[in-house]
Amino acid sequence: MGSFSLIIDGQTVEVEEGATVLQAARRAGISIPTICDHKDLNPYGACRMCVVEIEGVRGYPTSCTTPAAAGMRVTTQSERLSTLRNRTLELMFSGHPNSCLVCVHREACEQHRPTATKAARSTRCGFCANREECDLRAMALSAGQPELSLPTMYAAYNLERDDPFMDRDYNLCVLCGRCWRICEKIHGKPAISIINRGKWARIGTAFNKSHVFSGCTFCGACIDICPTGTLTDRFARWQGKPEAETGSACILCPQGCAVVAQSKNQRLLAYTMPAFNRDASLCALGRFGAAQMVNSNQRTTRPQVREGEDLIPYDWDAALKAAATGLKEHAGKIAFVISATSSREERYLYAQLATALKGQMHLVPAHALPGDPTLTTIQEAIHGQGALALLMNGPLLGGVEQSRMAFSLVIDALHSDSSEQASVVLPAAMLSENSGTFRSSTGEIRQLSACSQAPGDARAEWRILRDLGQTLGLDGFSYTKVEDITRAMDNAVGEDAAPPAMTGDPRHNVRELITTYRGHQVADIVPALAAFGLPQRSMIQEESTAGSDNGFPILEKKEIVPNMHFFKIQAPQVAKFALPGQFVILMARETSERSPFTLVDWDADTGTISLVIEEVGRSSRELASLRAGDMLAHVSGPLGQAMPVEKRGTVLLGGGCYGVGAIYPLARALKQAGNRVICGIEASSSYLLYMQDELTQVSDQLILATKDGSEGVRGGVQEILVQTAEREQVDQFIAIGCTFMMRMTTELSRGLNIPTLVALNPIMVDGTGMCGACRVSIGGDTLFACIDGPLFDGHAVDWDELASRRSAYAPQEIQALSQGVDLSALMHQAHGPTDTHQCGCGR
Amino acid sequence: MSVEQHEVQDILTQYDQDRDNLIPLLQDVQERLHYLSPQALSAVAEHLQLSENDVFGVATFYAQFRFTPPGLHHIKVCEGTACHVRGSSRILDTITRTTGIEPGQTSEDGLFSLERVACFGSCALAPVVVVDDKVYGRMTSAKTQRLIEEKK
Repeated sequence: MGSFSLIIDGQTVEVEEGATVLQAARRAGISIPTICDHKDLNPYGACRMCVVEIEGVRGYPTSCTTPAAAGMRVTTQSERLSTLRNRTLELMFSGHPNSCLVCVHREACEQHRPTATKAARSTRCGFCANREECDLRAMALSAGQPELSLPTMYAAYNLERDDPFMDRDYNLCVLCGRCWRICEKIHGKPAISIINRGKWARIGTAFNKSHVFSGCTFCGACIDICPTGTLTDRFARWQGKPEAETGSACILCPQGCAVVAQSKNQRLLAYTMPAFNRDASLCALGRFGAAQMVNSNQRTTRPQVREGEDLIPYDWDAALKAAATGLKEHAGKIAFVISATSSREERYLYAQLATALKGQMHLVPAHALPGDPTLTTIQEAIHGQGALALLMNGPLLGGVEQSRMAFSLVIDALHSDSSEQASVVLPAAMLSENSGTFRSSTGEIRQLSACSQAPGDARAEWRILRDLGQTLGLDGFSYTKVEDITRAMDNAVGEDAAPPAMTGDPRHNVRELITTYRGHQVADIVPALAAFGLPQRSMIQEESTAGSDNGFPILEKKEIVPNMHFFKIQAPQVAKFALPGQFVILMARETSERSPFTLVDWDADTGTISLVIEEVGRSSRELASLRAGDMLAHVSGPLGQAMPVEKRGTVLLGGGCYGVGAIYPLARALKQAGNRVICGIEASSSYLLYMQDELTQVSDQLILATKDGSEGVRGGVQEILVQTAEREQVDQFIAIGCTFMMRMTTELSRGLNIPTLVALNPIMVDGTGMCGACRVSIGGDTLFACIDGPLFDGHAVDWDELASRRSAYAPQEIQALSQGVDLSALMHQAHGPTDTHQCGCGR
Repeated sequence: MSVEQHEVQDILTQYDQDRDNLIPLLQDVQERLHYLSPQALSAVAEHLQLSENDVFGVATFYAQFRFTPPGLHHIKVCEGTACHVRGSSRILDTITRTTGIEPGQTSEDGLFSLERVACFGSCALAPVVVVDDKVYGRMTSAKTQRLIEEKK
C-alpha cells in the first residue's frame, strides 16, 4: 500500500491509501465533529456533522465516507460549514428532548434539583440517566448556550421495557445507526434494524417483537455504543457514569470471558465487552446479570455459627475457630465439594486443606443440575468414604446429603438452603470483588482483578481459606496476598486442571445460558432471567401475583403525558371526607412501600378519587405498572390538613410536574369562595403540559410556561409569578411541584411581599405523625408534613434541610429500582407495524 | 404445513438465495397472501439468509407492503396535495371514527381495512376515497359516513 499527501486546512497530511478524509484530518490533529462515526464501525454518513469543503467537489461531502485522494485540498472550518453543522445539530435536537439546554433556570436547577428523580422517560437532560455520557449534549454544550430555534417534536414512542435488562427510549434516538451496525458486525444477523421511513423511521424489530424473541443475545454492545440515553442497562442506568474500568474475567461459567468491569464508589455497575467484536462478546448473564448478583440483597454478609436451632452471627475469629473445631473433629472424614467456577487460588487452597485434613476433593462442574451424573458419582463417593463432615462453597449438594453430616461448613457469597442448614457459614466475596487467576475450560489462564468491595463482613475466599488453615495450625498457609498463592502454584509440580467445558454457547444463543452459579439458580438472584425459561423457585412468581384479588379497584389509568399517570380509584371513604389540599397514601401490594400522593379530584357520590402519579422511582414505577381493572392493596386517607378556603382576593396557583394536577382542587375551591383565581403551570416543553382544559374551567385565567418557550411564557412558574405581579395585585400565591420550583418561587414572592403557601413533599412513611420521616423545619419549629401540612408558609421553610432530607436515601432508591417490578403493563400493545403512534402521551 | 406456508414455499423455490431478490420476493408473497404475515416474512428472511429484522426494515420502508390481512372492503384515502387542501384529513378522521381503525389496520370484524395513499391522479375530484378500487370523489364527512354504512 502506498501513501500520498493531501492538504487539510493548509496543512500537508501524509496518509496511507484507503484512508478517509476524516481519518486523514484526525491524523493531522484536526478535529471534526461526528456522531454516527465510531472507530469500530464502518463509515456510514448518517449524521452529517462531519461535512467538509473539498476544492473542486460540489456541495459538502461527509468526510467520514469520502476517501482521501492525493492532492486533495480540504477545508474543515468555515463559516458556511459551522452554519451547516449547527443547523444539523439543531435538526437532530428537534427530535431529542433538549429543554434543559435552553432553559433559563439551568444553573440554579443543577445546583438545587432533587437528586433522587429517576424518571421513566427522559424528557429532558435533567431527567436523563445518560446525561454525563451523552455525545449530543456534550456537543451542544461545547458550543456554549446553544440556539435551538426548532420546536421539540416529541415522537411519543413507547418506552420499551419488554425484555429483562434494557430500557429503550427511542424518543431520544437520533438515528445514527451505531446500535444496529454494531449488532450486525458482532452477530451477523442484527437483532434490530431501521424500520419504517421518513418521520417514522426508528430502530426496531420485525413486527415489534420483544428483544427476547428478535434474535438478541443481550451482549449489551448497542448500549455501550449508543451516543445518547436511548439504550440503557436498566440496572446500571441511574448509577451514573462509571468511575473506573478494570480488565478482568467473568467466572460465572467455565468460559471465563475477558471483561471490562465498570465500577463506581467500589460498586460494580456492569461487566462490558473488552472490544466490539464477535470474539469479545459476552452472554446476557455476564453482561447484565453479574452486577445484579454482586449487588444482590441475597448476599451473605456475616459469619454465622449454629447454636441449637439457630444460626447466630459471630465475629470472624470466633466463627473461624468454630469452623476449625468442627473440621478437626472429623479429620479423615471430610468431603470437600467445590464448584468448578472457583479461581485457581481458591481451588489450590481447598486442595491443600483437603490434603492436610485427609479429606476428599470433589469438583462440581458449573453446569451440573440436580440429578446430573457427575453429582450422583460425587454422592456415591461421599457415601463410600463414610464422610461425616462437609465443606462446600455453594449449595452444591442436595439438602438430604447435608443433613446426614455431623458438621457442615458453607463458604458462600449468597444465601441458600444449604447455608440455612449449615453448622458454620462464612461470607465470601464474589466475582468482581476477587483477585486471582482463573483457568477457563479451554485451558487459558485469565487474570481476575477486584474492582468492587464485598458487602458487610464478607471476605475474599482465599483469605477465608488461609485464615482457616492458620486457625487449624496447618503449615503453608502464610500467604499475605493472592499473588503469593499464584506464585506457589506456578512453582508447584504439575498444572492445575481446566474445569469441564459446558455445552452450548450462551454468548451467541441466549437460550443456552447457564442456569446455576455454584449451585444457586441464577434466576432466583436475577428474577428477570425467567424470561429465557431459566428455572427459578416458584416462590418468587407467587409473590408477584399475590394480593391482586382484593383492595381498591383502579377504574381508569393512563399516561396523560410522558411520566405522568392519571389514576381514578374506587375509594368511597376517602371520597366522602376529602378536602382540598389533602393527600392519600397508596400501596400497590401488601409488600409495597407506602407513598403519598395529593388528591386531584374526588366524587363522594360515585366514591371515586383521582390522582396524578409521576413515575420517579421504585414505588411510583410499581404503581405506574398497574392497569385499569387491577387492585391497589391500600388507599389510606384523606390525610393532612385541608387548605383554609377563604376569600383573599386574587390567588395565583403555580403548578409543575405532578403539581399541575394537585393545584386543581385548590383552584376549584378558591374560585367557589369568590376569589379571582389565576393558574400558572410549567413544563419543560409544550408536549408535557396537561389538564389545561380542566384548569381553565376552575380559574379566571390559565397561564402556561415552558422552559424551552415552545408554548406560553418562556421559563417557569417563576416568570409567571413575576409577570403577574407586575400586572396586578396578587394577594396569595400557592406553589406545588418540585422542591426546586417551590424554593425559587418562594424567594421571589418574598421580595414581592406576597403571602405564600407551598405543599411540601418530604419522604413520608406512615402519614399519621408517628415515624417522623417527614419532619420539616418551619420558622424554627419542627413540624410533620403529614399531619401539620402538607401546606406551609413558604417563607418560613428551611429549604436546605428539606433538600438534604429528600436526598438522604438517594443511593438506596437507585438500588431499589432493580427489585422486580413487572413492567409489561407499561408496554402498550402494538396493533400493527405501521401503528407507531400509540404511546400514552395523551394528546 | 399450512396452505399459506405451502404457497410461500412455492414462491421461495423460484428464487435463488441472493439478497437482490428480496423485494421481488416480498412482492410475490404479498400478491399471493395479500399481505406479509410474520411467518411469511420469517420464511423469506431464512431463504435469503438475512435477519428478519432487516427484511422487516426493508418492507416497512416501502408503502406498497402491508402487514395485516386486508379487510373485505379496502379503503384508500388520498392525502395528495389537492385532497389535503380540500380536507382529506377530516375524511380520514371520519373513517377512523366510524370503523375504529387507523391507517394500516384491519377492523376486528374483518370488514374494513384502511390505507393512506399519496395521489390517485383524480385531483379534479378532490378529496378522493377509493373503496375496493371504485373511486368516490368530492367527499364530505357525511358522504363518507354514508358510504361506510352502506358497505357494512
